[in-house]
Amino acid sequence: MTVRERPGGPVNASPRLADRDIDGMLFTAEMYGVQLDLLDAVLGSTVPRARAAATRWRRLGYAEAGRLGPGASWIWLTRAGLAACGLRYAAIPPALSRLAHIRAVTTVRLALAATPAYREAGAFWRSERRLRARGRPGLREHVPDGEVHWPDGAPVPWAGECWAIEAELTRKTLTRTTVIMRELLTRTGDYGSAGGVVPGRAARHARALYVCSPAARPTVLRAREALGPLAARLEVRALPSQAAMAP
Amino acid sequence: MIRAYLAFLLLRGTARVAWRLIKVAALAALIVAVAPVSVVAAGAVLAAWWCGWPPRRLYAAAAWCLPMVAVWLAAAAASGQRPYRAWLETWRLAAGGHAAVAAVTVAPAAIPLGLLAGGLAWAVRIYRMETGAGGLSPSSAISFGRRQWRRQARSARARIAAPGAVPLTSRNGDVVVGGTIRAVRHPARPVMALPYERLRSHQVVIGTTGTGKTTLLLRLWAGFLATALTRQAAGTGRRPLLVILDCKGGADSRRIADRARRVLRDAGARATAIWPDDARLSLWDLPPARLVTTLLDLIEHGHGAAAYYTDVMEAIVALAVQAPPGPPADAAGFLARLDTDWLTAAYAAGDADALAVLRSGARLIPDVALRFRTLWRRLGTGFEPAGGFGDADAWYCILEGTAETAVAEAQARGLVDLLAAYVTGPGHGADVLLAVDEFSAVSRRLPIWALYERARSLGLAVQVSAQSWQGLAAGEDERYRIAATAEGGIWLLRTPHPDPVAGLAGSRRYVDSSRRLTGPAWSEEGTSQVRQMPVVDPDLVRGLGTGQAAYVHQGGVTYVQVKRLTAAPAALAPAGLAPRAPAPRAAVPGPRAAADAQAGLGTFLDEAFGHPGD
Repeated sequence: MTVRERPGGPVNASPRLADRDIDGMLFTAEMYGVQLDLLDAVLGSTVPRARAAATRWRRLGYAEAGRLGPGASWIWLTRAGLAACGLRYAAIPPALSRLAHIRAVTTVRLALAATPAYREAGAFWRSERRLRARGRPGLREHVPDGEVHWPDGAPVPWAGECWAIEAELTRKTLTRTTVIMRELLTRTGDYGSAGGVVPGRAARHARALYVCSPAARPTVLRAREALGPLAARLEVRALPSQAAMAP
Repeated sequence: MIRAYLAFLLLRGTARVAWRLIKVAALAALIVAVAPVSVVAAGAVLAAWWCGWPPRRLYAAAAWCLPMVAVWLAAAAASGQRPYRAWLETWRLAAGGHAAVAAVTVAPAAIPLGLLAGGLAWAVRIYRMETGAGGLSPSSAISFGRRQWRRQARSARARIAAPGAVPLTSRNGDVVVGGTIRAVRHPARPVMALPYERLRSHQVVIGTTGTGKTTLLLRLWAGFLATALTRQAAGTGRRPLLVILDCKGGADSRRIADRARRVLRDAGARATAIWPDDARLSLWDLPPARLVTTLLDLIEHGHGAAAYYTDVMEAIVALAVQAPPGPPADAAGFLARLDTDWLTAAYAAGDADALAVLRSGARLIPDVALRFRTLWRRLGTGFEPAGGFGDADAWYCILEGTAETAVAEAQARGLVDLLAAYVTGPGHGADVLLAVDEFSAVSRRLPIWALYERARSLGLAVQVSAQSWQGLAAGEDERYRIAATAEGGIWLLRTPHPDPVAGLAGSRRYVDSSRRLTGPAWSEEGTSQVRQMPVVDPDLVRGLGTGQAAYVHQGGVTYVQVKRLTAAPAALAPAGLAPRAPAPRAAVPGPRAAADAQAGLGTFLDEAFGHPGD
């Protein structure tokens, strides 16, 4: 049940947003929405300050908040907030069926972003929402939960690479998992283009990173075994502890 | 008279029944009198029966209770109480309704005694079933054996499934293979550990496809590397070198190679080279004299009249390799020298003997050049510069023995020659394990016994694996020679023909009892005699499940459930596996080797998500 804290619409004619606010709103927009207990990590501040920021966005009419499921409240951007960020996504609250998954992906992104190598390299997270926004309506293709782009010349050995990120909470069938892995690792074209495989191009994803729950891990490992040589480009790790939805 | 005899029979029968009743009553009284011990013993027997434990395990449990007994006795002595009073106190407390307190009071004495009694009772039960003296029906012993095997296998699987229960190596450096299912003439330990020295001896592994042979081999290889690297770090051992010759080839071999690379890296291997896909082993670094021999080994020669041609070829190759400008640097250089004009110019300075040989063999030089050119085209770049066995801790060499037998045979000759040169060369100081899988596929020109003997002379340990007894070698004599000299033991996985190995394992004596049936029940009459039975039960080996193996060594056998090793992807090295040895020259270039160079990636991901094993 969504509880509107405040009706939409800007109430302040001259909103003043700090850089941190803008970064937080962009993050929130890219991830569909963020739970308030993760927002402090997103903003790099304390929990009270994060709550204050969320309140500020709501007062500006840029965001809405509500208790959508278990755990802390969620915050997501309104049409005005998305427009302020220059994003043309549909202004809808996070789908109830995807709350756990969105939270898991958020924690994965935060875990990567917390590492010095990520910050020093200036890596860029391309979210599933952005990837889907590029796709043509009706185009059926698997989209990863995110892509990490490592700029050329970054001070990491994998500079210039693009990684596919998958957060796995539940156990899919082995066949399905293998097909997705193979698709991720053999894809050469961008999302939203005519086809996943463009002849003559190198693989789009130099690596795929599967971050799994304990339940999904066995299937993912077995699927990786079935990949053959491609398995060398696939890493499996455990979801961060914050990924679980709080009761 | 008849009446008196009938009365005697009646009296005798009554006396027997009465005696039996007295015995049963006495036993029941004893059980009740020592009820706490009886309860523990019954529980111990039940647990051993359900889990398929050997009696030794109950004895060991009883022994582990001794410190508790010592403390209890000391406490009793300190308080001035006599220990036997605990028994009386127990009954008094139980009668007063304090069952829990009563149990605690008597536990220090009852538990070890109960375990001991349970172990003895369980040993008697096993002995009676094995010798045919127990059971309700003649087939009871067979059913008992099958049930116990199932329970032992189940317990072994459960034991290795527990996280951390089966590390790769034990604290004393033994290689842990898996959970012990059953041991015959071997110590029955819950977890089977193989001393490192066994892996430094020759071993044989036989198992058909899908039985877990690769899983076993990977574990042995990883254990060898992990132990050797630990010993090297401690200054008590030399650098390890694992060389695997996979003589089947194809996609399956490459899949296994990839898995091996990941497993070995988790075991501590700094680099695992996959030849010829990712890495090279330069033939041209060999000393000139040995290079001549190796080059000739690569070419198939004829016999009889063709021996003349062989001699001429040897002379020409020697001229090309040992020419004044020095040995050739690569195949292209060597092929360029197989030319009359080049050789004439090289030896024009005044080597009269060489020029004489050249004049005699000039007619055949184009033929020799053609043969080597053809061979090198088929061999590819695997033997090209630069690369050597010192570049990696482990080499997985894929020989296309199924698709390109002739090429694979040449590759096998070349690789063995290179390894021999490496281990006899200057500066060599490595513990080498040479593992050959399905070598019979490429052994037409290099008999496996020759490889075996050569390896023994060089101080290498050889591990021969095959899908069947027949796959070990071409002839029966060779097979027996290989199996009989496997000092490190023979591993049998499920195979339809284990009888030769079972025969080599020998037999053991056992007591075979036969009893007389009187109607549906046993009578008390029977005979026993000592017989011989094989140590390895061939039928048991034929029925082994996936991941189960029989390890035959020194006249005993241990059946083991092998613990599968899982590993992280090859391109991502986990943190904490820093090279334990000084890095040698740069690894051989190749796409996978380049990926290996990005070891920092594992550290990065560990930092973000923790280590996969955590």
